[in-house]
Amino acid sequence: MSSRIQLRCAERELKNGLCCIALQSPESSTFAVSLSLAASQIEEGDDEHGLAYLTGSCLEEGTRRHSAVELAEAVENIGGSLSTAAGSVTIQCPADEAARAIRLVRTVGLEPAFDPRDVRRVQAEILSEIEADDADPRAVARRDFRRGVFGEHPLGRPSYGDAKTIAGFRAADLERFHRTWYAPRGAIVAASGPAPVEETLDVLAKAFRSFRGADSPRTAPLDPEMPHGRNESHVPMDREQVHVYLGHPGVRRSNPDFVPLLVMDHVLGTGPGFTSRVTRRLRDEMGLCYAVSASITQGAGLHPGAFTAYIGTSAANRQRSIDVFLEEIRRIRSEPPTPDELRDVQEYLTGSYVFGLERNSNLVGYAIRARRYGLGYDYIHRYPDEVRAVTREDVLRAAATHLDAERVVIASAGATV
Amino acid sequence: MSLEGVHEVRLDNGFRAYLVERRELPLVATVLWYRVGSRDERTGETGLAHFLEHMMFKGTDRYAKGQIDLLTAKLGGSNNAFTDHDGTAYHFSLASDRWETALEIEANRMKNCLFDPAEFDAERNVVLDELARGEDDPWNVLWQATEALAFQVHPYHHPVIGYAEDLRRVDAEGMRTFYRRNYGPNRAFLVVVGDIDHERAAERIAELFGSLEPVPDRDPVLVEPVARHERRGVVRAPGSLTRIAMACRTCRMGERDDFALDFLSHVIGSSKTSRLHRRLVLEEEVATYVTSHNETRLDPGLFWILAELHAGVDVERVEGLIREELSKLCDEGVEAAEQRRARVQIRSSYLFEDETVLDTALKIGRFEALASGGHRLLENVLPTYDEIDRRELREVAQRYFGPEAWSVVWSLPEDAELRRPAATARKRRTRSKAATSAAKAIKAPAAKTSRTAAKKPARKPAKKVAKKAAKKAARRAPKKSAAAKPEARP
Repeated sequence: MSSRIQLRCAERELKNGLCCIALQSPESSTFAVSLSLAASQIEEGDDEHGLAYLTGSCLEEGTRRHSAVELAEAVENIGGSLSTAAGSVTIQCPADEAARAIRLVRTVGLEPAFDPRDVRRVQAEILSEIEADDADPRAVARRDFRRGVFGEHPLGRPSYGDAKTIAGFRAADLERFHRTWYAPRGAIVAASGPAPVEETLDVLAKAFRSFRGADSPRTAPLDPEMPHGRNESHVPMDREQVHVYLGHPGVRRSNPDFVPLLVMDHVLGTGPGFTSRVTRRLRDEMGLCYAVSASITQGAGLHPGAFTAYIGTSAANRQRSIDVFLEEIRRIRSEPPTPDELRDVQEYLTGSYVFGLERNSNLVGYAIRARRYGLGYDYIHRYPDEVRAVTREDVLRAAATHLDAERVVIASAGATV
Repeated sequence: MSLEGVHEVRLDNGFRAYLVERRELPLVATVLWYRVGSRDERTGETGLAHFLEHMMFKGTDRYAKGQIDLLTAKLGGSNNAFTDHDGTAYHFSLASDRWETALEIEANRMKNCLFDPAEFDAERNVVLDELARGEDDPWNVLWQATEALAFQVHPYHHPVIGYAEDLRRVDAEGMRTFYRRNYGPNRAFLVVVGDIDHERAAERIAELFGSLEPVPDRDPVLVEPVARHERRGVVRAPGSLTRIAMACRTCRMGERDDFALDFLSHVIGSSKTSRLHRRLVLEEEVATYVTSHNETRLDPGLFWILAELHAGVDVERVEGLIREELSKLCDEGVEAAEQRRARVQIRSSYLFEDETVLDTALKIGRFEALASGGHRLLENVLPTYDEIDRRELREVAQRYFGPEAWSVVWSLPEDAELRRPAATARKRRTRSKAATSAAKAIKAPAAKTSRTAAKKPARKPAKKVAKKAAKKAARRAPKKSAAAKPEARP
C-alpha cells in the first residue's frame, strides 16, 4: 500500500534563518499553515514561570494592526480557525484563502499587540484554568506526577505557571519574552494544501522575509534524574474516581531506540482498541477501568519525555491497578514480546500511518517534527521499513534499558478508600 | 455535496448502503449506523444501547472476545463506536486492499453476539466506571441536568450512559432481548467511502447482509409537550468556579429552521466575534468562556448557551446579560456583516467535514440517520444556507428564544450561597408575537458516549480542556474536527 503514497514536500531556508516547508496534497480543498518557534516553558527564566504560555495565549488577542475582535473577524472572513500556543500559530482554512492565511499567521506570530487590558483579561482566564485544575483530580495527579518525574526541569511545572507568577506579569514582560524568543533562526513555518510546493514556498518566503530577530543564547536544562526507589503520593478528593499516574523520565525523539520503543508501547499500553497488555488486563479482563494507557514515546521530543502509565478507576481498585502496571513493566523488561504480538504491532504501525496523511494539519505537524528532530522529509517512506526491522530482542533490550518498575513516581488524586 | 457520487444499495430485508468512491489515498472508511439509541430504551433499560455497543466487541460466534480489535490492528486499521440518543455507529478505517473485512465483521455481529455472562459482568464495571468518570466532570453534570430539565417526557430526558441503578440491575439475558429486538438490517444502514469499486462493494454487501432477518420497527416515543414556562435548576460542583447552562427547545435536524439556528449560533455565541463573547468576555469581563450550540437530533432538540464565570461574578448578572443579548437578537435581528461572516464560516466548516474518508462517511451517516430527508439533504445544505436572509433569521430567533423558553441551570461551588434568581425571565420584555407560536419543533444535543477514551494523557492546557468538555455537546452542525483520528503517528 505504501508504494502508492508519495509525499510532495520541499524546503527553503530564508536569509534570516527561517525554514519554510511546503507540502502538496493535490486533491485537497483545505489548507493549513503553522509557525513553530522554540519559545516554550523551556526558555523561561526562574522568575518567568508561565510567561511562555501567557505570551502564546495572548497572540490571538490582537496585533499591531488588529484589535482582538478585528483579528477574529479577519480569521473568520477567510473561513479560518486560528489557534495559538507557546511558540506556535496555526491557521486552517479553505485552500483558496491560503495566501491570506499565511499573511495572517505572520502578523499574529510576529506583530502581537499585547494590549495591557487584553493581557489582564487573559491572565484572569488562566487563573480560572488553574482553579478548574485545582478541582480536577486528574489534573492534580498529572501535575504531581510531572513534578515528581521532572523535578526542577522546566517540564516539571505546569505550562501555565502558578497563580502567583501569572498574576505578576505585565504586558512589558510579554513583549520582552516575545522579542527574545520569537526569532527566525531555528524557527519553522510549514504549509500544506493543493498548490504546488514551489508556489507555496514563494508565498511563505515573501511573507516572512522581513522576519527579524537576533539569536538568543539558550541553556539546555539538565536532564531529569531517575527517582531513587518508589516515590508515591496521593491527594484525597471527594470524587467518584481516582486518577493514577505512574512512570519516570523517558527518552528524546532522537534516541536510537525510539522505534523499538514505539513497538514496545503498542505491545504494552497504546495498542489500538484493547490489544495492548495493560488495556487488555485492566479493562478487558478485570473490568477495572474505562481509560488506561502506558507509553514512553508520546511526549518524546527535543527534550526527554516521560514514561507515563495512566488509569482512572475506583478507589478500591487503585492498588490493584498499580500492581498490574508494575507487573507488566517487569514482564516486558524480562521477556520479549511473543512473535504474534510483534507481528501484530508491526502490521498495525505499517498499515495505519497513512491515515495521518489525510489532513493538511497533520501533514504540517509531520513536516515540522521531521525537520525539528532531524528525521528528513522522506522519513514517512522509511518508517515502515524501520518498524519492520524491529526484532523481539530489540524490544526486550529497549524495554530493559528505558523502563524501570522499581524506580517510579506514582501520583494519584481523587477518591480514597 | 453532489449526490451523483453516492451509490445507493437497497436490499429486500430493508438494509441500505451508501457507497462513495474517493481515490486520493488507498483508504476506506465504513460506518454501520444502527437506528438504535438511548431513545429506544424502555423503562428500566437506561444505558442499554450504549452498553450493547461495548458488548459488540466482546465476542460473537465467529470472533472471540478481543478478536475484532486484534484483527483490525493486524490489518493496520482502526475501529471505534459511539452511541447517542438516536443511534449507535460502528466505524472502521482500513487500507483499500483489505477493507472488506469490516463488512464481514459487521454482518456477523449484527445477529451473532454471544453475551457471555462473565464478559457481561466485567464490561458492566467498565461502563459504570465511565459513568463515574462523567460524574466527576462538572460540565457533564451541568449538561445532563439541563437536558433532564428541558425534556420531561421524551426519552431524551435520560442520559445516554444511563442510570447506575438500571445498569446494575440488567443481566446478560436482558441485553440479549434488547439486541434481538433492535439490531437487524432494517434498523441499520452502511456508509462506505474511499478507494473502492462501488459495484464490487454492492455485490459483497448483498452477499453478507442480504440474508439477515429484519427486526420490528422502532417503538414510537412520547412527544415532549410544549414548555410553557421557564424551568430552573441548580447543581453543585467541586472547586470554586461558577457555570451556567441555558437551553431552549428548537427543531429537528435538517428542517429549515435548523439552518437558520446554525447562523444564529454563530452570531450569538459560538465564535470569537459573537455577541456573547464580545459582551461577556471582552467588554464586561464577567466570563472566561462562553459558547453556544445548535444541537439537532431526530426529534426536536435544543439550542444551548454555556458560560464559565470569573471569580466573584454574580451568576444572575451574567444570565441577565445573556438574556439581554437574546432579546436584542429577537428585536433587531442580525447585521449583514455578521451573516456574511457566519456564512463563510459555515461553508468552510462544511468543507472540513470532508477532509478524511471517515469524516465524509460520518457526515453522510449523520444526515441519513437524523435529518428529515436523510442523506439526500446534503445536496441542499449549502443552497439552503444561501437562501436564508436576515428577515428569516430574526423570525427564527423570535420563534425560539423567547424569555420563557429556556431551561436554566446554574452550577455553583459546593459552599456558595444560593440566592434565588429574581424571576430573571419574567422581568424582561413580554414575549414577542412570533415567540408565542414557537416550540412546535424541537431537537437536542448529542450526549454522545464512546467505547474508548482519549488515549493520550491530556497535555492540553486546562483552558482548552475545559472548552473541549463544554463543547462535547457540539456534535452536529458544521464542525471542523472529526470523531476519530485513527492514525499512528510516525
